[in-house]
Amino acid sequence: MKTAAKHLTMKNFSLLSLFGALTAMAATPLWSAAPQEDEAADAAPTEVDTDADKYVAVIGGDIHTGTGAVLRGATMLVRNGKIRRIGHDIYIPEAAKVVHAHGYSIYPGMVALSASSRITDGTLSADVDDVESGIAAAEMGDGADADVTVEDWVEDWDQDFETTQAFDEAALRASDSYDPFSSFMVLTLAAGITSVESSNLPLKLRRDKLDDVVMGDGGAVNFNWGSPDARRSTAEDFKKAAAYLREYRAWEAAGDKEAKEPSRRGINSGAIKVLRGEGRAKFSADVAHDLLGIARLAQTYGFRPIIDGCREGWIVADELGRAGVSAIVQPRERRPKPDELMVGPAGSSIENAAILHKSGVQVAVKAMNGNVDLSGIAGRDLLALSIDAGFAVRGGLSEAAALQAVTIVPARILGVDHLVGSLEVGKDADFVITDGDLLHYETHVQLAFVLGEVAYEKNEELYYAHIRPRPKILITDGLKPAETAKDGDEATPPVEEPAPGDDPAPEDTPKPEDEPKPGDDPKPEDEPKPEVPPAQAA
Amino acid sequence: MKSIAICLLALGAAAPAALAQDVFALRVGRAETISQGTLEHAVILVEGGVITVVGQDLPVERGIPIVDLPDAVVMPGLVNCRTRIGVDSRGGGGADLTARASAELYPRQDVWAELLEVGVTTLGIYPPGTGIPGLAVAVKPEGETASEMIVKDPAYLQFYLRSDRSSKKLFTDAFDKLDKYLEKVEKEREKFEKDLEKEKDKEKKDAAVFKPSQPDDDVRPLLDLVTGRLNAVIGIRKAGDWLHLLDVLKERKFEFALQCDLRDDLDLFYIKDEVGKRGLRVIFDPRVVQHPSTRRERNLPAEFVAAGAKLALSPRADSVRAHEDWLQEVGELVRYGLDRQVALRAMTLEPAHVLGLGDKLGSIEAGRAANFVFYDRDPFDPAVKRLGVMIGGRFVSGDLGL
Repeated sequence: MKTAAKHLTMKNFSLLSLFGALTAMAATPLWSAAPQEDEAADAAPTEVDTDADKYVAVIGGDIHTGTGAVLRGATMLVRNGKIRRIGHDIYIPEAAKVVHAHGYSIYPGMVALSASSRITDGTLSADVDDVESGIAAAEMGDGADADVTVEDWVEDWDQDFETTQAFDEAALRASDSYDPFSSFMVLTLAAGITSVESSNLPLKLRRDKLDDVVMGDGGAVNFNWGSPDARRSTAEDFKKAAAYLREYRAWEAAGDKEAKEPSRRGINSGAIKVLRGEGRAKFSADVAHDLLGIARLAQTYGFRPIIDGCREGWIVADELGRAGVSAIVQPRERRPKPDELMVGPAGSSIENAAILHKSGVQVAVKAMNGNVDLSGIAGRDLLALSIDAGFAVRGGLSEAAALQAVTIVPARILGVDHLVGSLEVGKDADFVITDGDLLHYETHVQLAFVLGEVAYEKNEELYYAHIRPRPKILITDGLKPAETAKDGDEATPPVEEPAPGDDPAPEDTPKPEDEPKPGDDPKPEDEPKPEVPPAQAA
Repeated sequence: MKSIAICLLALGAAAPAALAQDVFALRVGRAETISQGTLEHAVILVEGGVITVVGQDLPVERGIPIVDLPDAVVMPGLVNCRTRIGVDSRGGGGADLTARASAELYPRQDVWAELLEVGVTTLGIYPPGTGIPGLAVAVKPEGETASEMIVKDPAYLQFYLRSDRSSKKLFTDAFDKLDKYLEKVEKEREKFEKDLEKEKDKEKKDAAVFKPSQPDDDVRPLLDLVTGRLNAVIGIRKAGDWLHLLDVLKERKFEFALQCDLRDDLDLFYIKDEVGKRGLRVIFDPRVVQHPSTRRERNLPAEFVAAGAKLALSPRADSVRAHEDWLQEVGELVRYGLDRQVALRAMTLEPAHVLGLGDKLGSIEAGRAANFVFYDRDPFDPAVKRLGVMIGGRFVSGDLGL
């Protein structure tokens, strides 16, 4: 619900700013020169930036912003790793690196939930961790289990332990073992993923550098909903935490220095965190009545839970929608009714994601396994995330929602939707350039960018370079004179322009028509051929 | 010893005035000098176990005994800067900057004589364990006692850096101690200067010399490191470790060599340009490896050299056999594109530099120790035969009389 509100405010804001700009334009002659200059500084063509600024401009491609809009043949300008502008007829600074993406599609990089820590700190070569260092790891008290979650670091939630400190610790651990050269990372980028959740932390898949790889503290607090006992104690925890917070607020409001501060003893600090809105509660549940229980708990205490699994969500979708649930589903999961004699519906459904989405549940899709498997059956690991989203489409989810299920929704779940998950001005320039629909099995990622830098290039890495080879996507220093003319031509066709100003992807922009451009490969449907020549048929 | 006795006898007859081991000339078909490339018809004058003159077709003064080997190829005695041969025991983790590999030395083992026999005249023995295991020692594989064997102690400080929290913490903790010591000395200096200003007596003022307090034993090696008196060897396991190393080193500058065991699927090529740009010395084992998840062969040593790094190569294992095969394995890298001179240098002068002995041995040049290996043809020729080995101007192997 919060996100909907945010969208509303965003819209209002853009309307307001538009209105502001209009008034400013109308009022300009009456004003002194100063505000006019400010106005000019904001306008693109006259913008002067320092030489240190690094620009990347992706031109000519179809930009799928991930917010519902597709801008055909548009330009995205990136400055210092952040998206600066998206749209048509954008001024490109001379110093910009220009990526000539004509005929390609640009998508926000996917965000993979529950990825193995191997993605960001592993290597292919097996003996690295076995020989000498294996002994060392044991001796240095460095546990072999790399997937230590933040909770494991907080030894006792009931003590007054500074949770932020624990998260810092986990973030440090993650960045201290980060391997930007990991072969798994190359493969994951090749699958279109630019961010992963690893040990509860949102990490960027950044190549060659260690800076800025940890995006946040994850913020989710896990609660056990696995057994009747656990459910009871979790509910009890929330009850106690709510009572404590009431007492605490009353104590605070009284401002009586003599009065004793309410004790936190025996109060689950995770529940306090959730009730204070500092983190989101995360549950793991699949069965309909468990899901209902979580929805009721959430509505009682006024928080929006994340439910991992949610297999029977389709049965109680309305209730989940009303409780503001974010669901993490695996659309390829197949589980029959546990008991044939059961009266009501049960088990998995291919429509799960679609039904949940229709009921207002935020649906995220996660891969069947967070690892990169180099043996066994292909397509069941992290590298098949787009295929998993494709299965949700098969079950009735719209393509736009399926794209969001692997981009912005997981980003929201991880609390990093202000940085990644869609292509919008001000967000990190984490995107992929593909040779087709991101969710199509045929599609290959040609280039992946993280923070405006090339993180993966299909033609350069040996893994997929030889499969469906295509010429290298040209990256030039500045627009070549010929390209300027060409780009001008591309910009002129009567494509519906998006709303002016900085707003890159207004939600109300109609989807521009699918006009085949001269650069596009003609698709079979575009030129229907009758199977039998008319003369013969006659 | 036998051959030396023969030399003595021969000398005694020819030139009684000249001291047998002291002065003699080597006249060889070809010398791989390392420092000046290949010299044909080389003449090398040795005095007191040290090379004094090197040249082409030089006349030799009458009375100086000559070892005449017109068909032989001579190169400096091999230097292996990183080995655990001749010592055993396995170390733990953690940091012990005071541990010395020299404490483990055990002379009078067959292995030393066997190593000499295959042409290895200098060894760098590193301390066991991971993290910061301690100080390596440079030895020659001969001598009756440990102190006779030691050429330089300590030779370098050994570090290992892995991309994880605990390993990086060992680094930063050790250097934090050094920083604290340096701060303390700085305060002492300020106090000393203040006191000096107050001092009225001019004589006393002039005579006063600032004496900083002595560092703790576990700080001294780091102090030597940052003041350039000691080198370091930092072991990494993959390309990512390099970035974490830069992360812990930050602005600190000191001489160090980067060491990595080569193996298939190693991703080290990602960092070759960065390492090459800094002109760092790398220590590898001679191995052609496969590109990650492919069967494409990569000559990483050659790639690093091409990128600008200096290269030292160690045998693949800590056995006499591996030391014997060392030359052939490096020869394999040469066939895979490594420059021949660079390859020779990687077994002699570069490892000597790692040990901090680059000005004492490792090349055929005036002022360097007379450590030689003699071959009957090009050392990288698969059919090569070793004719003899000389250390400190004495033949210790082979049947080459004066």
